[in-house]
Amino acid sequence: MATATRTRKRLANGWIFVIMVVVAVVMLYPFWYMLDNSFRNQAQFDQQGGHSLAGWTQLFRELPVGSELLNSTIVCAAAILIILAVSTTAGFAFAKLRYRGSGMVFLLVVAALMVPLQSIIIPEYVNLAKFGLINSYFGAVLVYAALGTPFATFLMATYYRGISDELIEAAVMDGLGYERTFLSIALPLSLPAIATVTVLQFIQIWDDLLVGLLFLPPGQRTITVGLAALSAGRTTSIPVLMAGSFISAVPAIVVYLIFQRHLIKGLTLGMGK
Amino acid sequence: MRRLRLAAGLAAVALAAAACGSSGGGSSNASGPITLTIWHNYGTEQNATALQNLAKAFHKLHKNITVNVVSQPASNYFAQLQAAAISKNGPDLAVMWTGLFTLQYKSFLVNLKGKVPAADLARVDPNALKWTSDGFDAANGPYVIPLENQFYIGFYNKQAFKKAGVSAVPTDWTQLFSACKKLRSAGYTPLVYGNGGQPLGAEFYPWYDMSYMMIGSYSVSQWQGLYSGKIPWTAGQNAAQLSQWAKLKSSGCTNSDVLTNTNNLGQFETGKAAMMVDGTWDTQKFTKALGSNVAAFVPPYSSTPIKGVVDFAGDGLSETSYAKQPAAATEFLQFMTTDQAAKIINAAGLIPAINGVNTSNPVNQEMLNFVSKDHMTVYPMLDNVVQSNVVTAGSKFLPSVLNGTISVQQALTNLKTTWGQLPANSRGSTYN
Amino acid sequence: MSIKSTDRGPPRAAAPAGRPLRSKLARRRRRAGILLSLPAVAVVVALLGVPIGQAIYYSMTNWNGITATWIGPSTYASALTDPIFWRVLQNNGLLLLAIPFAIGIPLVIAALLNEHVRGWRFFRSVYFLPTAVSWVVIGMVALQFFALNGSLNHFLADIGLGSVKTNALAGQGTALLALAVTFVWSMLGTNTIIFLTGMATLDPTLMEAARVDGLTRWQIFFRVTLPLLRRFIQFSFVITVISAFSALFSLIFVMTGGGPGLGTTTLEFFIYQSGFAQSQFGTGALYGIILFVIMIVVGLVQLRLIRSDDGEGW
Repeated sequence: MATATRTRKRLANGWIFVIMVVVAVVMLYPFWYMLDNSFRNQAQFDQQGGHSLAGWTQLFRELPVGSELLNSTIVCAAAILIILAVSTTAGFAFAKLRYRGSGMVFLLVVAALMVPLQSIIIPEYVNLAKFGLINSYFGAVLVYAALGTPFATFLMATYYRGISDELIEAAVMDGLGYERTFLSIALPLSLPAIATVTVLQFIQIWDDLLVGLLFLPPGQRTITVGLAALSAGRTTSIPVLMAGSFISAVPAIVVYLIFQRHLIKGLTLGMGK
Repeated sequence: MRRLRLAAGLAAVALAAAACGSSGGGSSNASGPITLTIWHNYGTEQNATALQNLAKAFHKLHKNITVNVVSQPASNYFAQLQAAAISKNGPDLAVMWTGLFTLQYKSFLVNLKGKVPAADLARVDPNALKWTSDGFDAANGPYVIPLENQFYIGFYNKQAFKKAGVSAVPTDWTQLFSACKKLRSAGYTPLVYGNGGQPLGAEFYPWYDMSYMMIGSYSVSQWQGLYSGKIPWTAGQNAAQLSQWAKLKSSGCTNSDVLTNTNNLGQFETGKAAMMVDGTWDTQKFTKALGSNVAAFVPPYSSTPIKGVVDFAGDGLSETSYAKQPAAATEFLQFMTTDQAAKIINAAGLIPAINGVNTSNPVNQEMLNFVSKDHMTVYPMLDNVVQSNVVTAGSKFLPSVLNGTISVQQALTNLKTTWGQLPANSRGSTYN
Repeated sequence: MSIKSTDRGPPRAAAPAGRPLRSKLARRRRRAGILLSLPAVAVVVALLGVPIGQAIYYSMTNWNGITATWIGPSTYASALTDPIFWRVLQNNGLLLLAIPFAIGIPLVIAALLNEHVRGWRFFRSVYFLPTAVSWVVIGMVALQFFALNGSLNHFLADIGLGSVKTNALAGQGTALLALAVTFVWSMLGTNTIIFLTGMATLDPTLMEAARVDGLTRWQIFFRVTLPLLRRFIQFSFVITVISAFSALFSLIFVMTGGGPGLGTTTLEFFIYQSGFAQSQFGTGALYGIILFVIMIVVGLVQLRLIRSDDGEGW
């Protein structure tokens, strides 16, 4: 009887494995496409045959790849730090420290998620220009932080709701203030959510075009804006674009792989095993 | 948590320091070293090459002026310029499209009358200057010094014509359809459409064809009627032209995937396609690929022999009203009108907009000959003299008319509705 | 330190210590709540709230960023009576039909991963990678995939359905379908990671108990796992809808340019095309406000639909 169940389970697992492989192929195809076509020149791309280094050499000739990658990193890191700082605190507050009207305030913060960027970006620009924040990293970082805060707060609050009230109250009874409870108990517990926010926000900010385009001076341009400038005019050199997109994708992947480990650690901590 | 806040604070301080340190820029002392900033949206094509070479040559003449040529993404370019005008923080010179685009953005452009000496302005093709002035009258002073003269034009493969027995270049619809039939029997795609050469994701740009359909219907001055509504978009003549045009695909004159073909340029360059409607930005590409086998022809979208050609300076450089180096900027614009500049522009495969300059590319010269020798009427680009909302609507619907998935009536009604939603001062009897 | 709250026993705060203790605690809790939520609120109000207010003002003007000519609320009237606007809204509505797939498929994938079949950690890493790829690349791959002689048609021919050749991006309806498919594909990574995170918070003893009770894996999934994941499904629904309505711009731009005709012009793209691209920022603000209102309505609707059983609505 047990053997039959085991065999059935092994068969089911086998099918699951097959499905996962198929899904993996579907997911990875664009990477293959990017890499494959970055190693071509324009003619080889049109014919879809042959390879050369043309895409890569042209990319480094046309764009200051290194400095643009650095700019992207600076902007992302600064914005994410701000986002994490305000969203963990607020998420905890909205989830556990409800006060009169906090439900409304929470809804408002989350509603800000739904603001379409293109309609507020010009008023935003006008405002920040008045404060002289346009000609440096500052303006862009602030806007990115603002754009990411609603989502991060929403996610953190969702996660914090899963922590039992008794746990918090017990710590407070033990003499810790609510703020310290947040710092020493709730925050460490939310590492998976923090990791998730970091990874998702990193990708969103890294790949953003419009804010970087308008709020950063050309000297502090991010890689995404740089790539967009390549595909201007009537002809786009696709191989160069593919090479640039690949390089642009690498940091996001690195961030994900780094935080994945924390994600796991946090998840196994959560399991309490 | 405190650690995070501390880190954020440090980051902010570091950024502030970096920002202060990196705010470069030239001094306003005209004799000291100056940086002149130019924005363009040319990407990496010939115009960009021409501009960069102009910058280099200018620097050689004015050793104290460093020219900083900045490539901006083509999408959102004008929003970016607008934003720069808001914060008064932007380039000294910027690429600006002519026609109604100039008029739309002139609030932050410098009128060059009196700034660039009249003698220099006189060297520029007067037709070019006209379309960058108020009311399209050059006497009001231009806002843009054109970089080049462009043609919307047809290209054809001479060998294909010979093999198919097309003895004369078609000059009206009937001859075009019969040439198509011959080319189709000889195994060619007679007239190829696709979105190669367009920004990613677009369909083919229908305004080359639309310009010629309107050339075949109206005079240059009558085109104002399309702007003001005196000739509504749904007029019978327009519908008739579009119906003929739609027949191109249904009668087999074009490829079947007009909306999704990405390799139309390649198909023309390898000789699989016999004709293509395109512009001077690709002439050099075609002469490189086909040598003496490629020639220019005027798209014959008319029931009587076509008599006009689109010869228009589509873009050029403007001086911004908030330029930090206005003197240097004006000097650069002056430099653009010189023969030396014309040579540089020609070497990049473009047709300079300077009077009396010949072009070294034979096919470009053919186009100039249409005007000078065949006395074809010079028309502007239709999409530069029609309101941008209407152009956008047309770009959306007209390709599907060729594809046969939207009716002529539907498309024209959409254009008319869009036109009707414009404020009154954007569709008056004078260009605004 | 174990976080299993059940280990700690009944909280001491429930002791009838008298009114002063409880209200003092409540006051401290309130003060902490306000203090901790203040930074986020400040950021959102200053950098998002204020521009929205300004956008509402500008939506009733003709604005190019520098000069604003007042028109008045009639701008909304003319926008809402424009048939093109309703055609665009229709596209948004149709796109909503893709949401169940964008959520359901990752749920299944996350469940499969959660079975911890050999190599699941590797697959988990891989499934998220597409999220790191820019929309430009995704759009280009999609373009090539759906083309007349592209991968999709090759695949159809390979499995014998060669007669069903499609030119997906040439027809209005089929282009929207292709866009929806690409959108669902792009959301797989993000939603899978959200559901995996959620599944990791579930108490495994519940799953064990269900298995001991004789439920099959699928029954466990539907009757135990899904209800417990309600919060996360709710969360995923919100961000998926928000993505569909306001994050597809680059994809549409690269894949179809909003066409053919109005086929793939969502309201978000329409904002760009009718407002931003022509420096008519008042129009852009107008449609942006409308989109904002629509998304809030959708958000409220889903709050009703996916309300938690334990009364834990937001």
